[in-house]
Amino acid sequence: MRTAIALLVASLVAASALAQAPRGFTAPTTPWGDPDLQGTWTSDDYIGVPLQRNPQYGNRLYFTDQEIAENEKRRQAQAQNDAQEFAGADARITTGPGAGLVDRGRRPPRQTSLIVDPPDGRMPALTADAMTRRQGIGAGNPNPNPASWEDFSYYIRCITRGVAGSILPVIYGNGQQIVQAPGYVMILQEMVHEARVIPLGNRPHAGAAIRSYMGDARGRWEGNTLVVETTNFLHARTGIGLNGGGTPTSDALTLTERFTRVEPNVIQYELAVDDPKTFARPWKIAFPLTQEPGYQNFEYACHEGNYGMHNQLSAARAEEKK
Amino acid sequence: MMTLAASLLVTALLAAPLAAPALAGHHAFAAEFDANRPVKLQGTVTKVEWINPHAWIHIEVKGDDGKAVVWMIETAAPNSMLRRGFGRDSLPVGTEILIEGFRARDGANRANGSSVTYKDGRKLFIGSQGTGAPVNQ
Repeated sequence: MRTAIALLVASLVAASALAQAPRGFTAPTTPWGDPDLQGTWTSDDYIGVPLQRNPQYGNRLYFTDQEIAENEKRRQAQAQNDAQEFAGADARITTGPGAGLVDRGRRPPRQTSLIVDPPDGRMPALTADAMTRRQGIGAGNPNPNPASWEDFSYYIRCITRGVAGSILPVIYGNGQQIVQAPGYVMILQEMVHEARVIPLGNRPHAGAAIRSYMGDARGRWEGNTLVVETTNFLHARTGIGLNGGGTPTSDALTLTERFTRVEPNVIQYELAVDDPKTFARPWKIAFPLTQEPGYQNFEYACHEGNYGMHNQLSAARAEEKK
Repeated sequence: MMTLAASLLVTALLAAPLAAPALAGHHAFAAEFDANRPVKLQGTVTKVEWINPHAWIHIEVKGDDGKAVVWMIETAAPNSMLRRGFGRDSLPVGTEILIEGFRARDGANRANGSSVTYKDGRKLFIGSQGTGAPVNQ
């Protein structure tokens, strides 16, 4: 019992440390007095950190100093390798694209998982109803056999990755450009180029009949933290996972995000997921977003160049004729 | 021709536990390409489609009968390639290259490109990581 309490206290301390600004840092403000979060931010440093914690780490959210040092050593070796212009004679050149073009973190991640609550870093149990929801074919499917374009995930179809899928770190395209105006915050996300326009203040959410892939967002300031509450999602379109993967969430979903600038170039980002029709309990994700020299969002007109849709369907039809 | 700094992607070979995200490229490799049908295509670049979610290189390949056939080669995401120093001008029309990759499952003259080798022997990787394509064959 004593151990359990100690663990609980430790995890609460850790959770509150996530959004603490270091002493001496004064968050900048806009000319009209709001906290200033503007700029292009990326979650690249957390590329590869799993959404759900590997059970080997138990309730441990943070890597030890030694583990971080090992990860940094590996990261540096990788960076050195990346910096070569051409494949060296001793490089293990493959006939497969195992040496892909992906974006890279600039420092080692501190966390063992993106999920910070529950304490074990695992997604809470799904409801019986959630388990019946169909998941579209995604990039991770090793044996897809689509009968129609509608069988693919909304990401593969270049439609949306949902709110969570648009900000969780993936292997490329993690840019988040924040632009502010009096009464509004806008976040332009590179991949699938979602632009979230977030009105600030106390205006009520849209009526219950009005629903969308990215939901209806409302923002407010709590001290230096931007708090965004999003509701009015369509039922069973995207899930809380990388690129909107995972079991599709329901029309009862409420997402509460917190953006806190904790250092000049770091926003601590937190996402609370509450969807009683999908998960047994609310849960929480957190990770940092950083600003990097020269980093910018690039154009991402996905649908226009999505030859993969046609090619995958054509491949499935060719298989049927064999 | 290039400031191809870093377009060399020898990378994933370092097998870091943190370097294997669950989801990666924009589609499942196995949905579109056949890992059991590797191809080697010697040809000349006729067009580069610098588009999302994946760029495509068009090359004209001369068959055994002397007739030219155009192949389309899928590469990684252009935004990532750009960040690693590979731009739309890195493969000008007329460049002679050797592509290694995997043929489309529907048998068309399309392939997922793994690497580009220039005439002088310099080699680059151009493919996507983690989409289910075979690695280290």
